[in-house]
Amino acid sequence: MRPAKLLLGLGAALCALTSFAQAEEPVRGGNVTFLMSPAPQILTSAITTAGAEQVVSSKISDSLFTYDYDLNPKPLLAEGFSVSDDGLRVTINLRKGVKWHDGKEFTSEDVAFTTMDVWKVLHGRGRTIFGNVTAVETPDPYTAIFVLSKPSPGMLKSLAAQQAQILPAHLYKGTDIPTNPANLKPIGTGPFKFVSFAPGDNLVLERNPDYWDKGKPYLDKLIFRFIPDPATRASAIESGEAQIAPQNLVPMADLERLAATGEFDITTKGYEFQNEMEMIEFNLDDPVMKDKRVRQAIAHAIDRDWIVENIFFGYGKPAETPLHQQLTEMFDSSGVPQYAFDPEKAKALLDEAGYKPDANGIRLKLTVDPLPYGEHQASIAAYMREAFRAVGIDLTVRAQDFAGFVKRVYTDRDFQFTVNLLTGGSDPTIGTQRTFWSQSFKPGVGFSNGSHYVNPEMDKLLETAASEMDPAKRKAEYHDFQKLAMEDLPVFPLVAVESVTIASKRLKNHTVDANGTYSNFANVYLTPAE
Amino acid sequence: MTALNRHLLHYLGWRLLQSLVVSTIVVIGSFMLLHLVPGDMVDVLGGQRGDMDAELMATLRARYGLDQPMLVQLFHYVTGVLQGDLGYSFRNSNTVLSLVLQRLPATILLVVCSVAVAVFIGTLAGVFAARHVHRPIDVIISMVVLIFYATPVFMTGLGLVIIFSVKLKLLPVGGLTTPGVDMTTLQLIGDVAQHLILPVLSLSLFYIAIYARLARASMLQVLNQDYIRTAYAKGLGTSHVIIGHALRNALLPVVTMVGLQIAELFGGAVLTETIFSLPGVGRLAYDSVFERDYPLILGVLLVCSFVIILVNLIIDLIYTLLDPRVEVSR
Amino acid sequence: MLRRVLLSPAGFVGLFLLLMIIGMALSAGYFFPKGPWALVARPYMWPGQRPGLPFGTDSLGRNILAAIFYGARVSLIVGLVATVCALVVGITVGSLAGYFGRGVDAVLMRITDAFQTIPGFLFAIVLVSILSPSVTNIVIAIAVVSWPPVARLTRAEVLRVRETEYVQSCKIIGMSTPRIILTQVLPNSLSPVIVVAAVLVATAIITEAGLSFLGLGDPNVMSWGTLINVGRPSIRSTWFICVLPGLFVVMTVLALNLLGDAINDALNPHFRKR
Repeated sequence: MRPAKLLLGLGAALCALTSFAQAEEPVRGGNVTFLMSPAPQILTSAITTAGAEQVVSSKISDSLFTYDYDLNPKPLLAEGFSVSDDGLRVTINLRKGVKWHDGKEFTSEDVAFTTMDVWKVLHGRGRTIFGNVTAVETPDPYTAIFVLSKPSPGMLKSLAAQQAQILPAHLYKGTDIPTNPANLKPIGTGPFKFVSFAPGDNLVLERNPDYWDKGKPYLDKLIFRFIPDPATRASAIESGEAQIAPQNLVPMADLERLAATGEFDITTKGYEFQNEMEMIEFNLDDPVMKDKRVRQAIAHAIDRDWIVENIFFGYGKPAETPLHQQLTEMFDSSGVPQYAFDPEKAKALLDEAGYKPDANGIRLKLTVDPLPYGEHQASIAAYMREAFRAVGIDLTVRAQDFAGFVKRVYTDRDFQFTVNLLTGGSDPTIGTQRTFWSQSFKPGVGFSNGSHYVNPEMDKLLETAASEMDPAKRKAEYHDFQKLAMEDLPVFPLVAVESVTIASKRLKNHTVDANGTYSNFANVYLTPAE
Repeated sequence: MTALNRHLLHYLGWRLLQSLVVSTIVVIGSFMLLHLVPGDMVDVLGGQRGDMDAELMATLRARYGLDQPMLVQLFHYVTGVLQGDLGYSFRNSNTVLSLVLQRLPATILLVVCSVAVAVFIGTLAGVFAARHVHRPIDVIISMVVLIFYATPVFMTGLGLVIIFSVKLKLLPVGGLTTPGVDMTTLQLIGDVAQHLILPVLSLSLFYIAIYARLARASMLQVLNQDYIRTAYAKGLGTSHVIIGHALRNALLPVVTMVGLQIAELFGGAVLTETIFSLPGVGRLAYDSVFERDYPLILGVLLVCSFVIILVNLIIDLIYTLLDPRVEVSR
Repeated sequence: MLRRVLLSPAGFVGLFLLLMIIGMALSAGYFFPKGPWALVARPYMWPGQRPGLPFGTDSLGRNILAAIFYGARVSLIVGLVATVCALVVGITVGSLAGYFGRGVDAVLMRITDAFQTIPGFLFAIVLVSILSPSVTNIVIAIAVVSWPPVARLTRAEVLRVRETEYVQSCKIIGMSTPRIILTQVLPNSLSPVIVVAAVLVATAIITEAGLSFLGLGDPNVMSWGTLINVGRPSIRSTWFICVLPGLFVVMTVLALNLLGDAINDALNPHFRKR
């Protein structure tokens, strides 16, 4: 076995430390209030993929790695790793002397237990990410070896705390995990310890004095406040009652106004692991949507620049492929079919497909189901209704709540197309693949090839790339993927979303890597008010 | 009086029994209604920015008992309730009873304070207006009160937050308490009071109109009754007439209104709880509808219905005390 | 009676405002033939920033004035229809329960209780979720939620009136029960109910706005609530998107209540003299 990246891991740690020492001197002490919505219902992300749980639990419990802006792993609970030549054994070297908040030692047993009994069984995305893991060997307390049935380069990109939180085996083993009381009184290895939780109101964490990274965290207390109304959140930031609001929790319409006061920092960094895409998902089983010309006509009828400017306030880019531009290693739009805003072309395509205008100028009646999560999808659908009028399509927008949407679209398959928000994830195998892989199609399962797209060529591309060890080959395979996806157009990507974090200028280091506000906040400090 | 007491006890017992019947109807009806709503909890879990596969969904459905026929699920639920077990919310990793009881105080505080403020100020305004009916002050009171009523709660709420929390920085932006700070009980009371000023104000401004108008209308009605004119004729002073006779009778519709307001407030508090991020039961129920967390929704409805029935019972008793002419109807 | 209503200042103002709003609803198609959804200009333009857009544009660039005109239709219809349904059901149930008492009262009141113990707004949310958001379903949901208070109030009033001397005397002289209810009991019980009716229409309009505020409105129908919901995220900067339709809600509610007052006064001749 050749240690491929062991030194790289250590080197990265050294670099991080030195670059930090060159920055200004961190201030110790202070409390920070962090806005969150919706409120988390439990305090661990090991058994749920809900965002709020991810944000809060990553501060309570560290993960094996964190990731820099180019999604390279940086050591956290893992000091280094190596991958065997055949890619079937991934050895993780764990940091020594890490303690859980109750004093017990963190060992490879915790990693093995969580992988096999929690992530592979109860975590929605874990089953995909760790699907090829057949066992986790623990030759000694500080070494964990993932034994794979097939190489999984995507797995190494997914070991951050919000996706792969490690649970203490001594508290969870042998218990009924979803009802374990530690879900509400968490014991972790992270920089902050649990103090109190008022569901629907707030969560209070305080400094872990025994944290393995000596001297950190800098903050005394980290307080989460759950505020459901967007305008109230904007008010909380503005009045200084809260110091940070991530993930567009402060409405985009307010950002310019708040930035103008000079008291706030606005950044779109820190979401490189998420890569959310607004996409139109066509139902290929629908007789009208089956026809590629209709799908292409729809694509040409939409002005994506307008959408980015007016609905996203410029925070985002018109999508060119199903991959987010932030996925710098994989994104490649060269040679990929493009669909510029061209109403005349749209009309021509509809003519070709046999949809000529009637006496009122209407060629076609369609329905759209926007995903009811936030405001953007509904706004896009409303815009589309007007834009489609110009090409002779009479569009009706249908509304339902989240569960109703999931049932209608994925179980009943009663839809023509949706405006959907799909998370790409830090590697195409995590999120994007599910949209295009024929095996992902299972009626009843949400956000999983809702189009019912079946193309053996695409399947082969995806399956090969998923286990491809050679980075150059992998990149080429995903380039082919992007070309084929935009050629067949089972989904039409609209916008590569940029999420925004707004924070008080006094708050430092809240976004230092790809996980941004989802990371552990050990390096965060607050400068005193002037 | 003993006969009246016996009569009252008999009445109470009978009403209590009827209340249990009502609660049962509410629960069963709601249960069946909820199962008509498309989608279930596993659908929601599957969409939480994550992925599911069919296997996991089937496992979870079996776990939560969602794959069983509705009547079977209903039976399990009802038998559980009779033993005091309102079910378990898997999404929240906690029993329904604890979750509801955790959130109930915030809503009760909000509702009780708002009603108290609204009834007090509203009745005063209404009675005053009735005394000076058709004079300018009457018109002004009516207009001012109406404008507050007509303004949607979230606008008054947000307006108050912007003025008092953001611009003047006098009051907190939301929440029930200041988290992360250790406080004595007395300090806690003061902290909660400070947090409740704006939400109570915005909610009661809406209801002041109702009580003012009602008090005014009934007051006017009553002031012209024969027995009032008789009292005047007998030479009783104006204030005596008003407080002694008119007010008691004028209050009847107000009291009734309070009874049905309490019910409305529990659900309507959703908007206020949303804007002021109060950890109340209204918001809990609203969230659980979208989560399709059936045990939780039903738990909230059950507990709320108990409270509301209790309040209505008290209202009816007050009603009979206020107007002894009204027979205690069985 | 109309004369009496018009002569009182409250009635006059109320009627005038209401007619103006009805006028807006009726003339929407004439003034804004493109409809309320057309994207006419750049989004978030301030009122008066461009001639022809006195109320500015909303988040997608729609003419807010047009939206308010068309919105008047929806809000009024929803308010009126829902209230009429609620009144019919509520008055029937309440008067029957109050007049006959005993068993009839018990059964009817328990049904009313059952409907009432489900928090109204929440019930509306569940109903709209089941039936899916559309104007018809919203009207149904609001009506279902609004009738219990009417029933209770009617019952309370009927209980009171039932025992008065004049009703008793009617019974003694052998007047038929329906006649007693319709000519003696109801007219004297209805004053608070009329006040409440005006309140109900207003509540219906506000409930519709509230449902839209929470995103449960009909997405293909432009109501004042839709505009308020659209303007909500930007309420701190372009507050007019939210406030302008809000003002119209206020005006309509005001008009309805003033009118209700005036009608109430007109129906009760005792009040003419002081």
